[in-house]
Parts: sequence; C-alpha cells; structure tokens
Amino acid sequence: MKKIMFIVIALVMITAVVLTGCNTTTPAVEADAPADDAGDAADDATADDATAEEAEMSNLDKSLALNIDSVVGSDGQPLLLDLEKKDVPERPADPDALPEEDPLHWYDMEYAGWGAMDKENIPASPADGSIGKKVIVIINGDHPYLTAYSNGATIAAEAYGMDIQIMSPNWDLNVQNQQVDQAINAKPDMIILIPLDAKAAVTQFRRINDAGVPCIASNMLPEAEAMKYVIGWAGPDDWGQFRMLADVLAEEIGGKGGVAYVQHAPGGSPYFARCWGPLSQFAANYPDIVTLDKQAPGFEADKTKQLVSDWITKFGDELTAIVAADDSAQAIGIIEALKEAGREDVKVIAAGNSKIGMDYIASGELLAISYQSAEADGATPIKMAADWFNGLDVDPVYYLPKHVITQADVADFLPAQW
Amino acid sequence: MNKKIEKQGSVSQNIAHEKQSGKILDITSRFGVYGILIVLIIAGIFINSNFFSLNNFKNVIQAGAFLGILCAGMAFITYSGHFADMSAPITMALSGIVTISCISFGIVPALLIGIGAGVLVGVINGIVIGKFKANPIIWTLAMNFVVSGIIRWVYSNKQIYPDVESGGSIAGEMFTNISRTYLWGIPISVFIMIGLLLIGQFVLSKTRYGKQLKIIGSNIDTAKLTGINVSRNILIAYIIASFAAALAGIFVTSFGKVGAYYNGEGYDFRAVTAIVIGGMTLSGGRGNMIGVLGGVLTIGILSNLMTFIGIGTFEQQIVTGAIFILIVWINSNSLRKLGRDDA
Amino acid sequence: MRKVKEKGSKGISYFVDKYRIFILFAILLIISIAFAPNFFNAFNLTSIMKGASLYIFLAIGMTIVMICGQLDLSVQSVMNLGAVLVIGLRTWSGFGWIWSILIAIAAGAAMGLINGLIVTKGKIHSFITTLGTMTITSGLVFLYTHGGSISTEGDFALGDLMDQTLIPLFTLRVIITVVAVLVFSLILNRTRFGRAFYMVGGNKDTAWLAGINTNRKITTAFIISGSMAALGGALFAISQNSAVPNMGTKGISPLMVAIAATIIGGTSMAGGKGGVFKSFVAVLTIMIIFNALTCFGTGYEVQVFANGLVLAAVVLYEALAIYRADKIKGIRTELLKEVQNK
Repeated sequence: MKKIMFIVIALVMITAVVLTGCNTTTPAVEADAPADDAGDAADDATADDATAEEAEMSNLDKSLALNIDSVVGSDGQPLLLDLEKKDVPERPADPDALPEEDPLHWYDMEYAGWGAMDKENIPASPADGSIGKKVIVIINGDHPYLTAYSNGATIAAEAYGMDIQIMSPNWDLNVQNQQVDQAINAKPDMIILIPLDAKAAVTQFRRINDAGVPCIASNMLPEAEAMKYVIGWAGPDDWGQFRMLADVLAEEIGGKGGVAYVQHAPGGSPYFARCWGPLSQFAANYPDIVTLDKQAPGFEADKTKQLVSDWITKFGDELTAIVAADDSAQAIGIIEALKEAGREDVKVIAAGNSKIGMDYIASGELLAISYQSAEADGATPIKMAADWFNGLDVDPVYYLPKHVITQADVADFLPAQW
Repeated sequence: MNKKIEKQGSVSQNIAHEKQSGKILDITSRFGVYGILIVLIIAGIFINSNFFSLNNFKNVIQAGAFLGILCAGMAFITYSGHFADMSAPITMALSGIVTISCISFGIVPALLIGIGAGVLVGVINGIVIGKFKANPIIWTLAMNFVVSGIIRWVYSNKQIYPDVESGGSIAGEMFTNISRTYLWGIPISVFIMIGLLLIGQFVLSKTRYGKQLKIIGSNIDTAKLTGINVSRNILIAYIIASFAAALAGIFVTSFGKVGAYYNGEGYDFRAVTAIVIGGMTLSGGRGNMIGVLGGVLTIGILSNLMTFIGIGTFEQQIVTGAIFILIVWINSNSLRKLGRDDA
Repeated sequence: MRKVKEKGSKGISYFVDKYRIFILFAILLIISIAFAPNFFNAFNLTSIMKGASLYIFLAIGMTIVMICGQLDLSVQSVMNLGAVLVIGLRTWSGFGWIWSILIAIAAGAAMGLINGLIVTKGKIHSFITTLGTMTITSGLVFLYTHGGSISTEGDFALGDLMDQTLIPLFTLRVIITVVAVLVFSLILNRTRFGRAFYMVGGNKDTAWLAGINTNRKITTAFIISGSMAALGGALFAISQNSAVPNMGTKGISPLMVAIAATIIGGTSMAGGKGGVFKSFVAVLTIMIIFNALTCFGTGYEVQVFANGLVLAAVVLYEALAIYRADKIKGIRTELLKEVQNK
C-alpha cells in the first residue's frame, strides 16, 4: 500500500516535471510583449482599418485625454492629488556615525530613493497609454487602512482604464515572496508592491526586475538599494509628516517640556520614522524638550492605557506631551489614561486619519494628526504607473501631500475613510 | 523515574519534617504567586516613590480587568484538563462585531445577540471536544481560523463603528460607555472581573459540578467510570469559557470604539500565562480562582514595574518570559515535593 | 463471504486513515491543476516548494517533539533568531558564511537544549516552557537587531545560488530541505535512535523500562527542533539576502502553519504517532491551498477559512474514528449475532 502511494505521488511529480520541464526558465516578459497585448486588447475595433502604430497612438491619446481630476475618494477629497516635492539635503559621509538625535543620522531612511543612484535594467516605457494595462498590486497585510488603500487603488485603476488585481499575504514575508512569484508568473504590465520589510524588499524588487516586469514600490519605504530596481516609490512622507507634527506640538507647549513616545510595532520604517522623526526634530530645533521614555506596546488600547497610566504616575508633571504612532487604538488608550488621571493638559499628536483619530481631533482631545489619505495612498502608485505607461516624465518619488489636521480644519476631511 | 520514587520514599521517611514543610509547600503551591507579588511590590517601593500609591494599584487592576474576565472563564477549561481555548481571540472579536452590527435593535438585544454569537462558538467547541474528544488545542485553533475567515468575509475586511451603525442614536454611545462607566472611581469591568472570579471560585470549590470537573481534570477515564457525564460537563466548561470571552470581547470592543476581526488578538497566550502563573496546572484538576486573580495582577505589576525602572520594550519581553517560567517552576516544584503531582 | 467483505471495507478505511494526507494532497493538487489559472507550470510549482521549505524546517522539529508527546511553541522565535544571526554575523561581524550558519544552528540548538532541560529537569509542561522561551527569544532577537532588519548590503552571491533551479522544480534551498526531510524520515523509521522517540511518546514508563533515557530523548528532540528551526530561518534569510526580526508576529504565523501541518500530516499531539515525511506532504498541501486560492484571485479571508476548514476536518475525522472505535470496543459481534439469530 505504502509503496503504491509513493509511486502515485512520484508519477504526479514526474508528470509535473515533464509537462512543464520545457518551460523551466523564469517566464521573462519581453519588453515589447505587453505593449502589443495592451494595444490589441484595447483597440480591437479600430485595429482593422488602421495600422498598428496608429492604433497604439490612439490608445495613448485616449489615455492622456482621460479626466482624472474629478475622481474623488469616499471622503470627498480628490484622489489623484498634486504631488509634492521635497528638499533633499546633501548626504553626510557616514550617517551611521552621527548621533541618533541628529536628523541626518536617519538620512538613508528618510531620503531613500532620491539619491543619484543608477537605475538598473528598468524596462523602457511603452508610451502607448494606460488603457487596457494589467496591474497586480501586492499589499502587505490585512488592515482596515489597507482595505481603504485597495479601494483607492481600484478606483484610480478604473479611472485610468487599467485592469487591477490585488493580493494580500497577511503580514507573512514568506507568503509575500510567493505572491511576488505568482505575480511575475501572471505576466502583468506592472507590479506594485508594498514591501513588508525595507531590507527584504531589495531581493523582492530585484527578482521582479530580473523577470523584466516593471515595478513600483508603494506605501512602505524600502531601502535605498531597492530603488535601483523600481521605476519609483509612491507613498506618504512619514518623516516629513512627523517633523511637521513635531513643530506644531513644540509651538503648542512653548518649546519646552517632557515628551514620551508610544512607538509603532518594531520591524518597519514607521517604527523609526514616528519616533526618531519628531525626536530628532526636537533635538535640532527645540533643545529644551527632553525625551522621557519610548515604548512599543503594540496596537492595543488597554495595553497602551496601562503604559500611559504608568508614565503619568512615574513622571508626574514632567510629562507635557505624548507622540503616538497610531491615532486609533493607541490614541484611545492614551486619552482614556489622561482623562482618568485628570491630565487633559498633556498634549497628544499621532499619525493618522482614522475615524477615531478625527473624532478626537474634533472634540479637542488630540492636538493634531497627520493627513494620510489611505485611498490616495493606493491611488498614487497607480497614477505613477499610468504616467509611465503614457510616456510622461516620472519622478523617482511621489509623495502624498503633507498636511497637519487640527481642530480648525478637521471638518474638511470627514467622513473618514476607515 | 527512579529518582522520583526515591524522593517520595525519603519524603515519607521524614513525616515529622514533612508535616511542617508540607504546610508551607501547600501554601506555596496554592498562593505562591502572591509571594512573588509581594516581592515585586517591595521592589517597586524602593525603585520609585510614586509606585506605592492607591492610584497606581488602581491602574494595575484596571489594566488587568479585561484579561481577568477572560481568564475567569478560560480557567474552567484549564481546570478540566483541556489546556486552553485558542479560539478565545476570535470569540472576543465575534461578540463585539456582532453586537455593533445589531446595535440598531437597541443596546440590550444587541448585547444579548453578541454574547449569544460568542457562546455559539463555545457550544460547537464543547460538543466536538466533549463528545468526540477532538484535541482541544488544535480544534480551537481551527475554529479560530474558520470564524476569522467568516468574519472577514461578512464584513469585507472592514471595521465597523458603534456610533455609525446606530445612526447616531443613544445606543451607540451607551455601547462605548460600557467600559467607561465608573463606580466609586473604578471601572465596572473591575467589579465584573472580581465578581466572575468569586463565582468561579465558588463553583469550582463548593458545587457538585466543580468537584466533577476536578475529577475530569485529574483523570478523564476514572471520571467516566464513576458515572460522571463527562461530555456534558466539558460542554458546560466551554460554554462558561466562551461566555466570559464574549463578555471580555464586548468590553474590549467598547473600549476600542470599533468592531473588527483583530480585536482580542494575543489574548489567548496572555490568558494562559495568567492562569498558569496563578497556580493552575495544565494537566488539570488543580488550582483556584484566587490564584488566577494573582496571576492577572502579577502580569500587571510586572509590566508596571518595568516601565518604572525604564526597561526597554525588548528587555521587558526577556524578563517577562524568564519570570513566567520561574513562577511556574516554584508552583510545580512545591506540588511535586508534596507528592501531589507527577508532571 | 461476509467475512471477506468485512475485511475489505476495513481495509479501505484503514488505507484511507493511514494515507489520508497523501490522498488529500493528491486531490487538492488535481483540483488545482484542473481549475486554477496560472497554477500548473514549473515556475509556480517551484515557488510553492520555495514557500514550503521554510515551514518544513519548523515542521520537522515540531513533528519529532510531538512524537515525544511535547509541544514546541518557540520554533518561530528560534527561526527568527537563526535568520538574524546568520545575516548579522556575516554583515556586522564579518564572519564567513559557513561560520555564520554553524553559529546560527548552534544558537538554535542551545535554545532547544534550554527548552529540553527546563521540561525534563524542571518538570514544567512543554507548552508553558516554550511559551516562556518564545517570549525570551523574541526579545533577544529584537535586542540584537535594535528592532530593525539586517541585510547583506548588496552581497547577493549566496542568495542567488540558493534560489537557483538546479534540477527542474528544485532550487538549492529546496534540495537541502528535501534532503533534511529524507534524513530525518530515515532516522525516525529505520534506526534504534529514531524509533526510541516513538517509544518515549507512546508510553514513557515502558520506554524507561526498555532502557531508554527518556529525559535525554526529550531533550534531544528539542535540540533537533531548535537547530532545524534556526537552519530553516537561516536558509530563508540567505535566499532573501536579509533577515527580519518579527516574522510571524502578525497574521497567520509560521508557528501556526507548522502546528497545523504536523497535525494534518497525522502526527498525534498525544505522542507516539506520526512521521516527518507526512508532515512534509502536509506543508505542501497547505501551500497548494494558499497558492491556488491566490491564483483564483480570492482574498485572504478565503485562504484562512480554507486552512481552518482542512484543519478542522482532519481533527474531527481523527476524533470521530477514535469515538467510533471506543463505542464498539469490547463488543463481540459474533455473540450479538448469535443472540439476534435466536
């Protein structure tokens, strides 16, 4: 019996090898193949009486003529926003040698992608229009933010006439690697990837690049090395947002006091950006602001509440402000702890744009949160892809617009996306 | 094994000695966690002057309230020798999200439906594990996956908000206020936790059911032979556990103001930790609810203390893990010296 | 006549029971080949094998530990430890690859030794012990990497080699994985050393009386588990050219996949039953489910649901079989028939 089973499995395996053996090389997508496919697919009707070249031209013209200004997200804000550029300072010789309080210590993280790094093996733009192109988006996991992100990406893709598929590895790097392979295997015109980890991203993008599929990095900032292999990166400027938030907070507390940091879960770029961004900003511009403590309690309201209650007991009046990496669960924990201790004087800033965070802004319990439209975050890499398909100039980095939401203008950003 | 026999032999030889040390060991095995608690508190007094204050203890007990409610139920499962309920996180999420989506029916019906949904998970667990003797850890783990998939599918990976679902009516606000209601300055979740633990203690030690559960926990085959309805008793244990998990889920959801599939993540292992630190053995039939309360408080005080010292997040993990093993070792070691346990 | 028929039916159910994981694997594979788009080609099958090879290393250790009647929850943290050590030692400390890998395996073995000693000498339940060491190890990993990840900084040579398809469908990393599975499979089935694990799990007292040092056996199982987990993490990190400290802290973790696969493969948590090769096929089965569902373009919720359903079905099937056997235990059918005939 056992032997029979082994033989059956062996047979299945061998058939698999034989049937597919002739095609063992990675299915490289030839640079010109997608262009033809897309052109054919979109312009079947016109292809008969026009030459192929003219058909492609007309697809491009049609694509360029699409009106995307009227596309809005579920919060009524325009989805495909005008994107900002950022002043990039000179890279210090050895950023790691600088103290962690120095903003330039974090140069390689904050300005990844801007450096004059040579791109490698980037396919040339087909310049034949976005209509009919097939795009696969691999997100990093399941979260209401990413649900809104996927939603935004889908709306934008429809506006550009692209065909979109979304894959989710649910925070598992091993599964994401497989999905990268599966995406390559499906021979799309473009892969958009939210890397799970900045450094692991290098290998993933290199793999996509090797297979000849153009790709864009989104949301999570990968390491500078990974930028060689992608057309560009589109996403929120976490560091910049938090420097702005830090300035707002510093002004509010008069440039002095004790700040405690509720950190993001370790492992990703927000863990650094949302703590060292404001911390280094304070250190550079407001020397009287001191750091009391920094802890990563995870995204649980009750755990955060205990942490902040502990801080209130431990530091007493020294505690003037709290910087949080999340404006929903963490913000709830912080605000409940402050309320209970009667310490409403402590100012809180957070990364956000969630419904809970905006409710807190409206009621004045949070001082400020960052504006980070999840839907625009999903739409921006699609815009970058469309620009590239249309043969337009593409910057290596597309930032979402930066803004600090306070009580004064929170009404403009409601209803919340997630 | 030979060693064990030897040890037992030498213990019985020194009966006089055993009587004295036996009493201490007995107390250590039952309430050893409180010894650790006192040590931690004394250490805390030296570390920071603000530590030994009513306010701080209030914070600690409050922070443990949700966990305590969950433990009050899950302890029944551990007591009956079925390790732990790995579907507790999803039971919590389910009861919360169902309550919120039914909130337009009014707060009381919504809560009943929500808790009912949670208990349903317990009923399924109880039948499969009680009657068909499926492996408790793996079955509840599988349930966790299945229900998680269903919740994500039904709510299409979104989270829902009580104030939106209730259409701005009073019910939504009442729901978020459940975990924000105070009695003499202490949240009601603390009273519920203590109430549940006391009831649990009463059930385990004074009722027929509790005694039967102890026999089931010590030896399930013996229990069957003595004519105890084993599968019904296990079913009841799972229903109690899922009820407590549903209740904890409603508090967590109400506190977080949002119903989502991820509410309650991580509570499974935290609950096991608290229960085991509190002196319940995983082999079943041993331990009490007062100890479980001690376990919940120890976890709270430990994290409180480490924040006071200023230990970083990563070092905190290492210390927590080490102290966890140490406490369990003290418990089981004293039990073994008493000759009461061979595990 | 009747007797023969009875034997036949018993034979089929026995066959199904014993080889259920192979049957499950074959059915799912055939369904996927028939229906899932972009599923059946060499590139995708290789990618399934690559995805499986990380979990297989965890499942090898988990299987052996479970055969001894224990549980190892720390494998995932140890896997991360192996990953960060191999890259960290290479990039930060300038060790050669061989030394980095050996030290990473040694560190995993050390964690296994600690687990084994606490379980056997401290006599603490393995669930609790490994829950504790899981927390400790994950703290150590974060401490070592300062919460970030580590990369080889542009040194792709070994990583590329690991991912090279040497024979169709098999990359170097997959070959190492398969060799490890075969080696442990043979050890468990063919050697005295291996058979002893089953005896320890089946009945500890009998094993002791048969002259097996049960404590040493259990400790050995944990050491194997720790070193295999570390090796799996290290190989994954090498082929990824980077190491991440927090794999599996969110979502379905490798730990859960390893436990699920081991159980689906037919290893019993009570101990004394199971095999490494079956766990290997079970990991492949889970990977096929995930991969095929992604091919269909379904969301993650369907994947987690399907995974849970398979696990639940297997557990229920096993429980029902025992339940039925229990029910007719001691009943002598011949006697009953005689009574009925009269």
